[in-house]
Amino acid sequence: MKNNSITPRQLFFVIIQTQIGVGILSLPFTLFTKAKTDGWMSVMIAGVLIQFVILMIWLLMKRFPGSTLYDVIPLLIGPAAGKVLNALYTIHFIFVSVLILMYFHQITGRWIFPETPKWVMISCVALTSGYLITSSARIIARFFIIMTPLLIVLFLLIAYSYTDAHLLYILPVGVHGMKNVLVGTQDATVALLGFDAALVFFAYTNGKPEKKLKAVSLAALCVTLFYTYVTFTTFIYFNSEEIIIVPEPVLYMLKAFSFKVIERTDLVFMSLWLVSVATSFMSYLFIAAKGVQSVLKLKHHKKTIPYLVFTSIILATIPKSNLQIQQWGKYISLSGIIFTIPIICLLLIIAVARKKQGGNAQYEK
Amino acid sequence: MRNKFLYFFLACSLLLTGCWDQVQLNQTKLIKAGGFDYTKKGKVRTIAAIPQVQPGSREEGKEISQVFEATGNTARQSRHNLDRRIAERVDASKNLIIVLGKEAAKKDIYSILDVFYRDPKSALNAKLAVSSKKASDVVSMKFQEPNIATGNLGEYLYDLIASAEDASHVPEVSIQTICPVMFDPGQDFALPYFEPLEKELNVSGVALFHNHVFAGTIKGPKSILFNLLNATQSSKSISTTRKLPNAKGDGPAKSVTLIVKKAKRKLKVSVKPDNSVSAKIDLNLTISIGEFPSKHTTDKKGLKLVESQLNEVLTKEAGEIIKTLQGFNSDTFGIGRQLIAFHNDTWQAIDKKNYFKKVDFNTNVTVKIMNFGIIE
Repeated sequence: MKNNSITPRQLFFVIIQTQIGVGILSLPFTLFTKAKTDGWMSVMIAGVLIQFVILMIWLLMKRFPGSTLYDVIPLLIGPAAGKVLNALYTIHFIFVSVLILMYFHQITGRWIFPETPKWVMISCVALTSGYLITSSARIIARFFIIMTPLLIVLFLLIAYSYTDAHLLYILPVGVHGMKNVLVGTQDATVALLGFDAALVFFAYTNGKPEKKLKAVSLAALCVTLFYTYVTFTTFIYFNSEEIIIVPEPVLYMLKAFSFKVIERTDLVFMSLWLVSVATSFMSYLFIAAKGVQSVLKLKHHKKTIPYLVFTSIILATIPKSNLQIQQWGKYISLSGIIFTIPIICLLLIIAVARKKQGGNAQYEK
Repeated sequence: MRNKFLYFFLACSLLLTGCWDQVQLNQTKLIKAGGFDYTKKGKVRTIAAIPQVQPGSREEGKEISQVFEATGNTARQSRHNLDRRIAERVDASKNLIIVLGKEAAKKDIYSILDVFYRDPKSALNAKLAVSSKKASDVVSMKFQEPNIATGNLGEYLYDLIASAEDASHVPEVSIQTICPVMFDPGQDFALPYFEPLEKELNVSGVALFHNHVFAGTIKGPKSILFNLLNATQSSKSISTTRKLPNAKGDGPAKSVTLIVKKAKRKLKVSVKPDNSVSAKIDLNLTISIGEFPSKHTTDKKGLKLVESQLNEVLTKEAGEIIKTLQGFNSDTFGIGRQLIAFHNDTWQAIDKKNYFKKVDFNTNVTVKIMNFGIIE
């Protein structure tokens, strides 16, 4: 048990790496279609919103130190109903992993590997990620920390676009209406999902509850700022008439830059971004594996990994066209919101009302 | 034992990466310079210059530029037709420049460029230029300069534009940098303008655009002032010659060459309650004298005189440039963008197509002489 635990600092990186993923490339485009040039404000508002959600998750998990969400649910709503809800959560997390794979292929297939078969691309990510998550939370956290410097490179690459930015494009601020900004907030929240990993990773974290909260909340803040920065940058790089025809504005922006040594900056960006996608995938698949473990009452989550990996590969190869992927994306992001906000809220109310507390984890971690 | 096999197979898999998406250089022809014209029937004609190494008898082979042409209903179709005439696959990912024929530029140039924006492999940092004749006159040109230049036409044209950019004759643009401006209802752009002569090529000025369409040109020394007024240049070797106003006749004695050391432009757009727009452009140039055969003076009075004469000449010229721009309805200053950003109500109220023609300009060029070279 002791070997598997992580420190609050490691938790910080786990949350960051889970949050930053596929969303970053297309978020500016999605926000623009909703809120025009005010879309960057949607990210800020969503950032504030998720701070409350994180507080809620923390209040819930604080009552059950050392337990994951899957341990908590049966305690709160009874073993039978608990099992059903646990199964639903597990299925949801599997589908989130599948969605990550689908988006990953959608973008790499279009930008770099048009000829490579879909299953090959998806298997490359899924198999290597599967191998990593057979280990413990601590190993995963360490891997995520090693990969974090890559995010700084991503930050710097995007910063280069300020050499050719048109600051006036962001003005006038606020003419497109607060309503549209709020509509965009929903999409921004979906892109910022990933802090829900705390539902499981809190259980593996040592230290005072306040420190854990601080780690997660700080991670969410960093990611919010990063996303705001990315969105803002693309909005001043592209004209508002142009951005509506560019679904992955970040890559498109980088494609135009070339340095002495690197000609296609977008490819460099994408190979770094791929790691961020893989880390999000790992996190979610790990959480899903923990779910399967708890539903089937297995000794170790390791056994479930091969099945999960192959299921997700097969599911991810099903949708054929971009439109189908969009449909899947719509439903899965909706379930993402439902499972992280209203249900957690409900569970918290039940926990407070029935004064449920304590209870150590009954499974090996 | 089992582990060893596993590691071995894992190591082997590293060698298998990218089998599907490989592009072999010996099976592709790299376009280095491309051109587009319209045929009389309204079809798109693509002209591509492809460098080809001829096996030489001694030493390394000689590089020559092969030119291919094909037509089609769209830019992409003409490229496909081009592909049929060439054994290898044609690849434009290393393209350096695209030349648009004058007639092609007079129609919507986005319809030609669309394929470049859509293809993830295309070179978006390639330069763009407009030819005063057909694009094929530039791309298939046989040059006077020695074979280094003609061998790789793309590189030659690219360098030609790059040096014109340094001298501020033409704005620094690429396919990508004009894209946001092209879509902007409140701003227009300008491209380098080529004039093909008998056996050489002259970068004679800038081609002005309105929305997606070529509208007119500014040529000669005026193009330098045009670029300075647009404040797009980062170059530091801008040099231009002007005749002084009170001088009669021509000849070296009546002119002065100024080297621009520092240029600062201020643009202020203001709006009156009746939605009439006025713009004030202040261009402050810090210069050094590069050539001034008729005068050797360092006293303050003489200096002031030269400065005020230059102010007069350049301010007048700036006024002419703006008049030309308004004639072509080409808002390269982005006055409309300023209106959208700072005076949105006015922008909503005015005629979005012809607003630029009605802008009341107040232009002022101020010159400050810093030094005289190494003699006085």
